[in-house]
Amino acid sequence: MSMRLSHLAVSSGGTTLVDVENLHFERGQAVTIVGESGSGKSLLAHAIMGTLPGNLTLQGSLAVDGTTYDLAERTNRRALWGHAMSLLPQEPVLSLDPTMRVQEQVAEGARSFTSDKASARLSARTLLGSLGLGHAARAYPHTLSGGMTQRVAFAAATIGNAQVLIADEPSKGLDEAARGELAGLLQRHLDGDGILLTITHDLDLARELGGTVLVMKDAHVIEQGPAGQVLTEPAHPYTRRLLGAEPANWNYCWANSGTVAEPAGQPLITGEALSKSYGGQRLFFDLSVTVRQGERIALSGPSGSGKTTLGNILLRLLPPDSGRVRHADVLDGGRLQKLYQDPTLAFAPRAALKDSFGDVMRRHRLGPDRLEELMASLRLAPGLLERMPGQVSGGELQRLAIIRAMLLRPALVFADEPTSRLDLITQQETMSCLMDQVDSQGCALMLVTHDQSLADAVAHRSIPLGTDDAQARERKFETVSAP
Amino acid sequence: MTLPLTLPRPAEAVKGQRIRHAAAALLALLLLFALLGPVAWPNHAAQDLSRFLEAPSLAEPLGRDHLGRSVVARLAHATQLSLMMAVLCVVTALLAGTLAGIAAAWRGGWVDTLLHGLSEAFIALPALLVVLMFSAVANGDLWTLYVGLALAQWVEYFRVVRARSGLVLAGPAVEAAGLLKLGPVHIVRRHLWPELRPLLTTMATFGVGTSILALSTLGFVGVGIQPPTPELGLMITEAFPYYHEAPWMSLAPVLVLTTVLMGLLALRSKESST
Repeated sequence: MSMRLSHLAVSSGGTTLVDVENLHFERGQAVTIVGESGSGKSLLAHAIMGTLPGNLTLQGSLAVDGTTYDLAERTNRRALWGHAMSLLPQEPVLSLDPTMRVQEQVAEGARSFTSDKASARLSARTLLGSLGLGHAARAYPHTLSGGMTQRVAFAAATIGNAQVLIADEPSKGLDEAARGELAGLLQRHLDGDGILLTITHDLDLARELGGTVLVMKDAHVIEQGPAGQVLTEPAHPYTRRLLGAEPANWNYCWANSGTVAEPAGQPLITGEALSKSYGGQRLFFDLSVTVRQGERIALSGPSGSGKTTLGNILLRLLPPDSGRVRHADVLDGGRLQKLYQDPTLAFAPRAALKDSFGDVMRRHRLGPDRLEELMASLRLAPGLLERMPGQVSGGELQRLAIIRAMLLRPALVFADEPTSRLDLITQQETMSCLMDQVDSQGCALMLVTHDQSLADAVAHRSIPLGTDDAQARERKFETVSAP
Repeated sequence: MTLPLTLPRPAEAVKGQRIRHAAAALLALLLLFALLGPVAWPNHAAQDLSRFLEAPSLAEPLGRDHLGRSVVARLAHATQLSLMMAVLCVVTALLAGTLAGIAAAWRGGWVDTLLHGLSEAFIALPALLVVLMFSAVANGDLWTLYVGLALAQWVEYFRVVRARSGLVLAGPAVEAAGLLKLGPVHIVRRHLWPELRPLLTTMATFGVGTSILALSTLGFVGVGIQPPTPELGLMITEAFPYYHEAPWMSLAPVLVLTTVLMGLLALRSKESST
């Protein structure tokens, strides 16, 4: 079996969104498309599946096993869905049915489901068992962790034995351990002589999968070749920029500045003997944390280990089960600020940005020049303020959130996964804006992240929480200082 | 990456717009009748038994009733009374329910427990029963109807506002506003009000319709406003015995009720869809 995509063009109005000449897929060979948001990667995947929205114009052809399909006709690939071609969607939590038990949901995809439900359920159970989810067959999706739902989605996508698997940003929102697991699953599909197309902006996943890597930018494939070559000796300047945007390759002057956890620094937040559990699950116990002036701390660990909870307790947004938190006086009057994972939720959704900013400046008697200066130094056009929060891209809105926090000259900023929803280049841009401000104002930073390389690039020391899902429940953690 | 969403087709939007314009025009006409009618026909109580059940004419567009009173004058006064009462009741219920809802969501604790308990008690009673109990106490005075209707209606505003405000106040946007020390005025103005406004306008338009219907229902069964004050429900009851001789007499108030309700319902679709 082989698959070939020829002369694909997707456009909306007069704008070309995807323009790809030829793509060849071989059994057992991973094809991975990397690129930033808006480069057309996901559209390419949906064009192959035939799941593009109707307002986009589509041209090209797809040859699967000697049969040629005209892509412009959206419905002709439907017969292939499930047993010949299937899609592993973005964010499986959103695509699984929350009211259905896992096993039933997976069984639905089996070919025999309509004729013989019992055998469909049996094969679903076997498949789930082989993915290490035998115990969770009767569970509902929302009770599972991000990594487990991804495995359920994988089971649902592959139970029909589809040879062609298209994975659309499969590692979005997954921590390192879950991503490793996912790479293993995709590898399994390849080992079974399947065809795999992965769309991702996660270069580590691309490295793990190997095979061919294509780099997309502005609707075009600008570079392609074996993963080892493209991701180590890039030929195109954009690919070089993409690789340089990985936190491990950052080289900024702020990387080594700031106070390095000197005990003499004035403590801003002192948390003593903090404990918190949720629903019988202990997140941390008897944990003491001191955050000093000018310090940069990373709260790291896998999803669900209580990083954000610890941060919120230290900010006194949540009460701890036991223990107490003291704030220094310098934090009064709004000098303690927080950045959110999803900036669209952190602004009043129905108020124009200029009104939200106007309220902050009026309340704290700030002149318009302070805002203009920050807007300029974070490279944002003043016209953005006329828009509503929902009309600004994620990266730009996060930078606006940084500006809003920095307006008050904070002594401490708590950044809760501020870049986990952004692609590499936008992440680099956002973090460098944040760190420039943190550095120039000498404020302390508490960063929550599950990306160890980001934590290493930014922080002086880190407070690790949890090591894996199972152990996180019983283990007791202490602060660890790193030079 | 998210895929572009499909927008609603323009033809449907234009059609919806036309319906709303027609509804607004209809309601404006009715409002004009309620405001200017009582001025044009000031005397609704003048009896002239010699003109008993007179057919419509140019001078008397709806004829005269069984006591020889001008039907158009009575209808104008009744429409004015119904609309005024309904708007007053809805405004009172909306203000009380919204303030209580925000207070319960914001303060939590015993304030929430108390207000929520009170609303449960009211929900257990049918709305009309509350009004009936009040009317029984004070024998159909206007103010008892007003208090009864407002009391029956504040609960739904309270419950919707409390639920929605709870979500908004617990969200990261309000948490960020708290860290920025922006204070309660900002939170109400930028976060709560924009979120509640479309809900409240929808509920209020619907509430005006419900109140008018409740008033005329009470008038119809004879426990609402007492004669000789003209009231839509009462007018229907009074006209029933003469339906064969003078059908226009009972149809006119029904037409007014239908117009108000249809107009409000058609207008409502605007707020609920945005």
